[in-house]
Amino acid sequence: MSLPTVILILLVALCAPALGAYDGPERTRSTDEILSMIERAESGDTIRVPRGLYVGNLVISKPVTLDGSDGAVIDARGEGSVIDVRAQGVTVRSLTVRGSGSSVTGEPAGIRVSAPNATIEHNTIEDALFGIDLRQSSDSIVRGNRITCKDMEPGRRGDGIRLWWSHNCVIEDNTVRGSRDMVFWYSENLRISRNTVSDSRYGLHFMYSHDTVLVGNDLHSNSVGVYLMYSNRITLTDNRMRNNRGASGYGIGLKDCDDIVITNNALLANRVGVYLDNSPSSVDSTGVFESNMIAFNEIGLLATPNTHDNVFTLNAFIENEEPAATHGRGRLMLNEFSRDGSGNYWSDYAGFDLDRDGVGDVVYEPRSLFGAMLAREPNLRLFVHSPAQQAIEFTARALPELRPESTLIDHAPLSSPPSIEISLGGSSRSGLRMGGVACALILIAGACAAVLGSDHGSRSIRTGEPS
Amino acid sequence: MSTIELKRSMFHEAVSKSPSFISGVCSFAKREFRDALSSKWFLLYTLAFTILAVGVSYLSLSGVGSHGFAGFGRTAAGLLNLIMLVVPLMALSAGAGSIAGERERGTLLYMLSQPVSRTQVLLGKYLGLGVALVCSLCIGFGVSAAVLAWRAGGVGVGSYAMLIGFTSMLALAMLSLGILISVVSRRSSVATGIALFVWLSLVFVSDLGLMASSVLFKLRVQEIFALAIVNPLQSFKMGVIVNMNASLDVLGPVGAYASQTLGDALPWILGGTLGAWIIFPLGLSILLFSRRSSV
Amino acid sequence: MIIATSITKRFGRVEAVSGVSFELGQGDALALWGSNGAGKTTLIRCLLGVVSSRGSATIGGIDVARRGRHARALVGYVPQELSFHDDARLGSSMALFTRLRRVSTGRAIESLETVGLRGHERKRVRDLSGGMKQRLALAVALLSDPPLIILDEPTSNLDADGRGEVVETLQRLRGQGKTLLFASHRPDEVISLADRVLVMERGRVVRDTTPSDLWPTEKPVQVVRLYLEMANESDAADALRESGHAVHLNGHGLCVAVPRDRKAEPISILERRDIRVRDIEVLDDVEIKESQR
Repeated sequence: MSLPTVILILLVALCAPALGAYDGPERTRSTDEILSMIERAESGDTIRVPRGLYVGNLVISKPVTLDGSDGAVIDARGEGSVIDVRAQGVTVRSLTVRGSGSSVTGEPAGIRVSAPNATIEHNTIEDALFGIDLRQSSDSIVRGNRITCKDMEPGRRGDGIRLWWSHNCVIEDNTVRGSRDMVFWYSENLRISRNTVSDSRYGLHFMYSHDTVLVGNDLHSNSVGVYLMYSNRITLTDNRMRNNRGASGYGIGLKDCDDIVITNNALLANRVGVYLDNSPSSVDSTGVFESNMIAFNEIGLLATPNTHDNVFTLNAFIENEEPAATHGRGRLMLNEFSRDGSGNYWSDYAGFDLDRDGVGDVVYEPRSLFGAMLAREPNLRLFVHSPAQQAIEFTARALPELRPESTLIDHAPLSSPPSIEISLGGSSRSGLRMGGVACALILIAGACAAVLGSDHGSRSIRTGEPS
Repeated sequence: MSTIELKRSMFHEAVSKSPSFISGVCSFAKREFRDALSSKWFLLYTLAFTILAVGVSYLSLSGVGSHGFAGFGRTAAGLLNLIMLVVPLMALSAGAGSIAGERERGTLLYMLSQPVSRTQVLLGKYLGLGVALVCSLCIGFGVSAAVLAWRAGGVGVGSYAMLIGFTSMLALAMLSLGILISVVSRRSSVATGIALFVWLSLVFVSDLGLMASSVLFKLRVQEIFALAIVNPLQSFKMGVIVNMNASLDVLGPVGAYASQTLGDALPWILGGTLGAWIIFPLGLSILLFSRRSSV
Repeated sequence: MIIATSITKRFGRVEAVSGVSFELGQGDALALWGSNGAGKTTLIRCLLGVVSSRGSATIGGIDVARRGRHARALVGYVPQELSFHDDARLGSSMALFTRLRRVSTGRAIESLETVGLRGHERKRVRDLSGGMKQRLALAVALLSDPPLIILDEPTSNLDADGRGEVVETLQRLRGQGKTLLFASHRPDEVISLADRVLVMERGRVVRDTTPSDLWPTEKPVQVVRLYLEMANESDAADALRESGHAVHLNGHGLCVAVPRDRKAEPISILERRDIRVRDIEVLDDVEIKESQR
């Protein structure tokens, strides 16, 4: 074989994979192709974008519907926003959008909307700094999108969904993972339902955004589940905040918010279930907390010392390390924990209900010495879940002069937990149940086998079989 | 036969009639295991542990309805307290009774007159008791896993296995300490006394002392952390928590500091501390036991 | 078989054994003689390597201090205090030693058979009588057929019959060429088993001698002359011979050789046959010719 032949064969071998790429289904095209389709279309037309990988940025400045359900992928290859909607009444549906720029200047997004009345639905957005960014786009709908942000350290990420001066919007059924916040700035009268936000900083974050309803959202494994700041008249119902335990770690945090109504939510295994920071802040406004399940948190309710005018009724405070605490030495006496003869259920309530009317006969006043020590010396939290902690509480019970003042008084503690069901589309747990049973059986069987197996040697001597 | 040939044949006979190191250890381990199973302390502790574990699992899930699943962490926290009280007591007293008790009854001498070394006897006892303890724990954990599965719809199998693993390590560490106590004390009543004292110190006194000194001397977080993990009970607790939550932030500033500075190494450090508590007391007891001039 | 060189063992300031040296050849039988606290038990423990000591000891040429595990494989040891785990069953106790001595289960059963404990495997050790425990210890000691057997007061827990049995077993073992080392404070045992005696006092060996040297006047057997009716003499002689005594008829009554501590035994034997003994006389320094048995 001559040398040129060898070189030729090598070249072919090297090029083959590269050549093969062009035969693949995702032939790279340019977004200019989509642009020219839009130019050809009339206002109000629906454009079905053919299957393919489109590279570049796309600006939509005509009220059309873009439908990528055939498998269209738009990739900006790290330059600017991927799709920029500049005309009102645009619909972007079922596209896969990825590769926005990553520099903070210009805040590049997967889909940026800067005109009202947009519908952004069922898109998959990957590797974007901001996911969906609505600026002054009132009356828009953001529905059923799946968003994962750029894989960066949390401090440098962008927001999964951001609304800025966009009123009367519907945000529902979106799934956001690994972003900064789903955040609402100066946007009023929103409806936010059934979204899932996980592994982000704040699940739902409100800044100066009033008159909004949040229903059925699932916020887990974030730093904070829902953080409302300077936002009034907001209602939270049927939401679940689970395992939010970042630096702040609140299930729900309220900062200077008036007239908040929080009913029928589940706040589970967060660092702090509910955090009240000067809310409500103005006179004559109240905070209402009714029928919430506040369970398994380190602190059920944490408040700044002068918090007042919140009403807690029919909530279940179950197995929180501390049911209620204040920052520093304050107490929660300016809030109500019972109204019209019904208070809350506290799983650490040690009283009794002799007349069986469902309300305990003695008031509930949590006075944990260890809790009081923690308030003064946060470092001692290292020693929770230890027998030493129990020893301290036991001592305090035996020597009443050591007991601290109670942080709150519930005059009508419930004697059994109210039934609180949150309607979330949960997954079946039969697999886990089987796993648990299997685990138990294996353990017991293993132990029994060891016990029985050990008898072998002596039995053979008894029966005289050679071993 | 010349004397040298005679000696050689004797040596062959000796080798052929003494068990290998491993099989000697295993023989003692088997006997120890059987003895433990038929003894009252074992039954009592197993029963107590099972009842308490089931009780804790059951109670911690009451009233949470379908949210119980999220509460497994709390169940574990309840179990933690129980484990930290009962398991060290169980393992320390089992260990403390072992060598000292046999010495008192004279059975130790008889064992040592067999063709085995002291190391084999000690390791055999340790292994047998260790397996018995782990079995006892498995029964307790198994029954409470069944309760969890029934009430709450399941347990995280992985984290439950981790809890069992760490608990077994704690039991083995305490057993190792118990055996050390047993080796150095002349009588079994003395050994039991020392074991109780050690138990009290580890469970209550050292934590309370560390709490007091962290307040009095304004210890820094890293100092508190370093001092705390010296206690095997604390490193057990942190190990379980870090494996369940992937972070120690549950434990306040000190825990958060540990999670941030040590990161992924943290579970290994905590596991390693427990491991050291298994190896060092056991090694020391082997050393002291084989150096002992009398029975 | 054993070479001990200046073995010394201190407990605090007390020397329990000081500077004991001796050699024991294969097939020999050595008795340790001395009062309680003379250091017999401690010396045995030093030889086994169960307690550490100064000086050196070898068993079958194997250094006890350095390879005690192997040295002990050559020894069957019967301790003074019988110490099995009380809760364990005889069978499972035996199973442990079967593994430690690397013998087959069949051999263990055989060995229990030899000492008459077959069939008691389900019994717990605490329910065994003293004699059964002693026999169990012997069974364990003989399990691996070791060349050297060390016994510490092997008959201390036994009654006369039991003692006889043990002594008989040990004599048989001697006949098989086993080396024997035992502590005892019964002269009859020493005399009937040992061919050498180490006399110990306060930890030292004060005499290395033979049983006959140690008790020159005391014979193992004494002759007792029984006076009975003439007509019964030959029947009586037969009866005594049947039960294993040496008998000599010389016209002045019946001369019977008996162990020193069982001088009344012939009388009870004869009484069971309704032969009345009129009088007895204990004769010193008289030997009965074995040929007349």
